[in-house]
Amino acid sequence: MNHPRLETETVESIQPSRLSIWFRLFWMFLKINLLTSSGPASVGLLYKDAVGNIMTEAQFVEAVGFSNVLPGSEALKLAMFVGFAASGFPGTAIALLGSILPPTVSMLVVALAIQNFQNEPWMNGFIHGMVPAVAMLISVAAWKLFRGGKNIRKRSLLIAALSLIALVLNAPTPLVLLGAGIFGIFLFR
Amino acid sequence: MQTILALFWLFLKVNLLSTSGIASVGLLHQEAVGTLVTESQFVQAVSFSSVLPGSDALQLAMFIGFRVAGLSGAMAALLGSILPPTVLMLGVVTILHRLRREAWVSRFIEGLTPAIAVLMIYVAFKLMLGGNGGTLNWEMLVVGAVSLAAFIFDAPPPLVLIAAGLIGIFIFP
Repeated sequence: MNHPRLETETVESIQPSRLSIWFRLFWMFLKINLLTSSGPASVGLLYKDAVGNIMTEAQFVEAVGFSNVLPGSEALKLAMFVGFAASGFPGTAIALLGSILPPTVSMLVVALAIQNFQNEPWMNGFIHGMVPAVAMLISVAAWKLFRGGKNIRKRSLLIAALSLIALVLNAPTPLVLLGAGIFGIFLFR
Repeated sequence: MQTILALFWLFLKVNLLSTSGIASVGLLHQEAVGTLVTESQFVQAVSFSSVLPGSDALQLAMFIGFRVAGLSGAMAALLGSILPPTVLMLGVVTILHRLRREAWVSRFIEGLTPAIAVLMIYVAFKLMLGGNGGTLNWEMLVVGAVSLAAFIFDAPPPLVLIAAGLIGIFIFP
């Protein structure tokens, strides 16, 4: 067990009842997930709400670092890490629940509503109009991801070129990604 | 039941091999369009998940799950998306706290990132080509160019997507 540092720090600095911490966690993530629409955007809001309140700055930096390094939804990983730092495993579960509820409810409502308009001609035009915008949204996100705020490294370019070749040759996509990751383990030593 | 399992496995895979909602669309497109959903449904999923508040990755999963197999599909997709980050995160905070020092996971992600970026551009390109029945026309190029400019100037993505959709109602009858 390598985590006691996380818990003791929180318990020493602030000591309200567990229940009130749980409630605050739940409310915090409910709010963040209602107000923002993506992981990175929620980091700023989360920082304001959580640091100095339920966790220290160092813990927060660690949480952001880990959620960038592990695969899977960024928003969820961040929520779970903050929840854990604040209140152990129950905190993790509560933060997760608070994060899942808003997108689930809003998406189900929209998915249901959309179904009714599926065959309307204007819906078709609406979707067609969104295609180029979605394509650009994806491209811009790809560019930001690739640059990652730092200089582009030669090794990244090599991996990018190899992946492109593999994709054009119709290699199975999961294998291409897996291969790139494994390549990275050896290249980025 | 077969479809439910396929959905669960799809999103398990997608969430193991991507780092955020928008980064997962590349793999999702390659794995789901044509087999589980149509191109049009995929575009709806990506745009509505960016427009609505809350985690993109989860909304993407639920929208696709719902369109493929109703409520149970949505739940299977949600579960598949939540499982990998939960297990990994719990693993990290409990046992593998030294993972970062060994750093092979972060190198894995570092190698994964350029591949994900290329895949995203590739899928964006495919969308542009296939989104309107196979041929690229000048209306699409104009809407694309305008949206690209808007994103470069940091316009909020939900507004850009909705505006593009509204324009689409008039230019794609």
